[in-house]
Amino acid sequence: MRRAYLGLIRKEFIQVWRDPKMLGIIFAMPVVQLLLLGYAVNVDVKNITLDVYDFDRSRTSRELVSAMKAGDYFLPTEEAFVREATPVWDLDARFKDGSAEMALIISNGFSSGLARGDSVTVGVLADGADANSARTGLGYCAQIVNRYSRRVTGVSPPVEIRHRFLYNPEAESVNYMVPGIVATLLMMVTVMLTSMAIVRERETGTLEQLMVTPIKVHTLLLGKLTTFAILGLFEATLALTIGVLWFGIPFVGSPLLLFALAGLFLLTTLGMGMFFSTITSTQQQAMFLAWFFAIFAILTSGFFTPISNMPPLIQRITYLNPMRYFMSIIRGIMMKGAGLVDLLPEIGALIVFGAVIFSFSMIRFHKRVG
Amino acid sequence: MHRIRFIVRKEILHILRDVRSLIIVIAMPIMMTFLYGYAINLDIENVTISIVDFDHSRESRDLTGSFYNSPHFSRPKVPVDPLDPESILRSARSSAILYIKPGFGQALGNGEEHTLGMTIDGSDAILAAAVQSYSNVVLRDFLLERVPHGVPVPGIMISPRVFYNPDLKSAHFFVPGLVAILMMMISALLTSITIAKEKETGTMEQLLTAPVRPSEILVGKLLPYILIALLDGILVLVFAKVVFGVPFVGAPLLLLGFGLVYVAAALSIGILISSLVATQQVAMMIALLTTMLPSVMLSGFIFAVKNMPVPLQAVSYLIPARYFVAIIRGIMLKGAGADVLAVHGLGLVVLMASLLLVAGRRFKTRVD
Amino acid sequence: MTDNTIVRISDLTRRFGTFTAVDRVSLTVRRGEIFGFLGANGAGKTTVIRMLCGLLMPSSGAGTVAGYDVRKQPELIKRSIGYMSQKFSLYPDLTGGENLRFYGSAYGLNRSTVDRRVAALSDRLALHGFLDRTAGSLPVGWRQRLALAAAMLHRPEILFLDEPTAGVDPVFRRTFWGTLYELADEGVTVFVTTHYMDEAEYCGRISIMHCGRIIELGKPLELVKEHRAVTLEDMFVSLIESQDQCNA
Repeated sequence: MRRAYLGLIRKEFIQVWRDPKMLGIIFAMPVVQLLLLGYAVNVDVKNITLDVYDFDRSRTSRELVSAMKAGDYFLPTEEAFVREATPVWDLDARFKDGSAEMALIISNGFSSGLARGDSVTVGVLADGADANSARTGLGYCAQIVNRYSRRVTGVSPPVEIRHRFLYNPEAESVNYMVPGIVATLLMMVTVMLTSMAIVRERETGTLEQLMVTPIKVHTLLLGKLTTFAILGLFEATLALTIGVLWFGIPFVGSPLLLFALAGLFLLTTLGMGMFFSTITSTQQQAMFLAWFFAIFAILTSGFFTPISNMPPLIQRITYLNPMRYFMSIIRGIMMKGAGLVDLLPEIGALIVFGAVIFSFSMIRFHKRVG
Repeated sequence: MHRIRFIVRKEILHILRDVRSLIIVIAMPIMMTFLYGYAINLDIENVTISIVDFDHSRESRDLTGSFYNSPHFSRPKVPVDPLDPESILRSARSSAILYIKPGFGQALGNGEEHTLGMTIDGSDAILAAAVQSYSNVVLRDFLLERVPHGVPVPGIMISPRVFYNPDLKSAHFFVPGLVAILMMMISALLTSITIAKEKETGTMEQLLTAPVRPSEILVGKLLPYILIALLDGILVLVFAKVVFGVPFVGAPLLLLGFGLVYVAAALSIGILISSLVATQQVAMMIALLTTMLPSVMLSGFIFAVKNMPVPLQAVSYLIPARYFVAIIRGIMLKGAGADVLAVHGLGLVVLMASLLLVAGRRFKTRVD
Repeated sequence: MTDNTIVRISDLTRRFGTFTAVDRVSLTVRRGEIFGFLGANGAGKTTVIRMLCGLLMPSSGAGTVAGYDVRKQPELIKRSIGYMSQKFSLYPDLTGGENLRFYGSAYGLNRSTVDRRVAALSDRLALHGFLDRTAGSLPVGWRQRLALAAAMLHRPEILFLDEPTAGVDPVFRRTFWGTLYELADEGVTVFVTTHYMDEAEYCGRISIMHCGRIIELGKPLELVKEHRAVTLEDMFVSLIESQDQCNA
């Protein structure tokens, strides 16, 4: 049986090498995705275009405006000339055509009010179409105004929080995204290729031929799965290397642990690939189904947005998504140096899922073949 | 005209019988609308935060209550390990730890200055920034309520006002853009596959021996997809309004007009791709790589284009979705008119015209 | 088995739901025979072969192939048989040589044994020069030979060939049957299904299936005489046409 197993692996590799679409998936996809995502993905909100309407024109108001300009949060546009009596809602023409995302309105009595020790108000308008930018922009505004206010009035609240940030010192979103990309690549490649490879045997009719030989069903499966496990891990390594060498992302934890757990994750993805092969009859269907499933898994894994943001019902659904656990694992290991103990719940979940999906798919496959 | 009808009917049968196209046309839109409306949510809520209280005063307990009563924060499921507090961050059971040092309650009572410490998991930079600012907000509100002598209110207050989306719901941002993505998917992806399939199975050759003109074949094949794309777009819009409350402030006809231009551009891409490949599978892969991926990444659908490196920004000008995303958001959320959208509209029209030209030329030569 | 029987089945039946594909088929095949299995499309021939190869479990009935029970020992049967299906199931993207090497390993042969046997088979079946081309690029006749080689690598006692010459030109067919005769002389039993009547005449004995049952069994020329037909084809056609329609 060992000879059959090795023969199977060799055959699979030859077939992958000769198939342009599989090669495309293995090589083109990771490189393109990584480069694109690494550069395009940018959830940091910066350079918000800000219209400034300063009707006070005092030294204090100009200082406030300078404080807003400092750093790269805001990008003041040319100060628009508008009469003070203009109603606020007319200012939205600038929002409509996208020339400004926010506006700061400092009214006439700003500095005089402050000098008297009153509490004064500045108006801040935001284009809410991009909710995230608006919220973040308002947050920046609040911070800058508070700080300036403290400086000018000499008054500060009695209790403050001193914040300290762990991990990701440069607060680069790339560091957070690339591990996620590695996880998605690992999943997509293994699910797609495995399901396609198994279905292909059925398509060409060679499955029947194989069944007539002494090769046992599980040897056959193991041969295919081993091949794609190897390819999947190769993918992951390729992506990680690009990430670390090209994008300079950190790798704080243990690579060995990551690979071991990637192997565990592969149990679930290979199992899914096997499962899809039992419900499709052509390679194209298999590829498609795998893609569809992958999108769903990726979007609900915490890749783009934290799971805690999602409605409670969806959060509960994500517990069934193996990718969610691996996302935590890879980010934990790479960015925080998480160890075995820290990741026990995720590991446990992956073991359970892996065992269930894998055995279920195996049984289905046996039934389908026999 | 008569002949076109038969081709349209055949095409519709193909669509109904092919699992793939059914998935793209029905299942995908539903799933993506659902996901982007509900799951992909940049509103930071329910962040798990651990509070370690060394003060054990009534004030510290009240502060703890304030944090957990806020919609932004929620309780962790496990306590902090006193020997290794940061392990809770490493294992992602909590996103931040707030330490209330001894003397907090007393300082508060005496009006003295006091500092609290917070350690935040910085791996998700957005979340971390949000935690920082929300924690400040919770603290400030707490002080405003609790401190007996009246807290000196900072001299300058902000009066914020949000246009178009006062509750700052993510869905308003994503769902309109999703329409653009879905329409691209149907128009470009499906079209490239269907034409490639005819080539692959040899039925294209068969069709051409019949008294049908190539242009009629093309129109007949594309018509169903135009209809489906528009239909899907409308469905998602209705869904957006009814389920997510996304407003539609502007002119529907204007959107329809731009929508048709957009679909034409997408179809041209589909035709172009199918003229370059021999098999459906390769068509699908190329379509995914050149239409879907860039449309999602580089159109402003999720990530702001202006923050990207210049080369990518340049590439984004070649992507029809870039223009359409801006247009549909402008019309739906801001009620922008043709005058305001002229720039985007022009870009889209120019792009569409060039794509149509190239695709048309290629299709003719390949078929003849 | 001390006598010469290599296949013995009695009342072998296979049902799929309410449909009976094979209905109480019994026959025996002796070692070194070339046995032809005829019948119209859908008569149940392929199903019988599948059961004999251990691919399908019978619904009822019993049988042994090469001394092993079809129900209890299908794995052992597989080691003793070679199988060539209607589709010549070779991997189209692998070369002839790679296909053979793979199937060799599937039967547990080590590399040097495989190489030796491939060389011998190349001589015998004139495969030289075709081993380096992908199987998908070969014309049908050569693919057929390759498939036969793959089925013979492990020196099986019995060969099951399901329509092995479909779509192959007459010259190739003749040479193919020449090889089958050689094999039979060497003691290999050949169990073949075919639609070609001239091939049926090459067989030692034939059986004709209809609606899952064997309706005729014997030596080809004797059957022709019995039915007072002129050719085997005439006999076959009139026999089938005289039968009732199969009820599904």
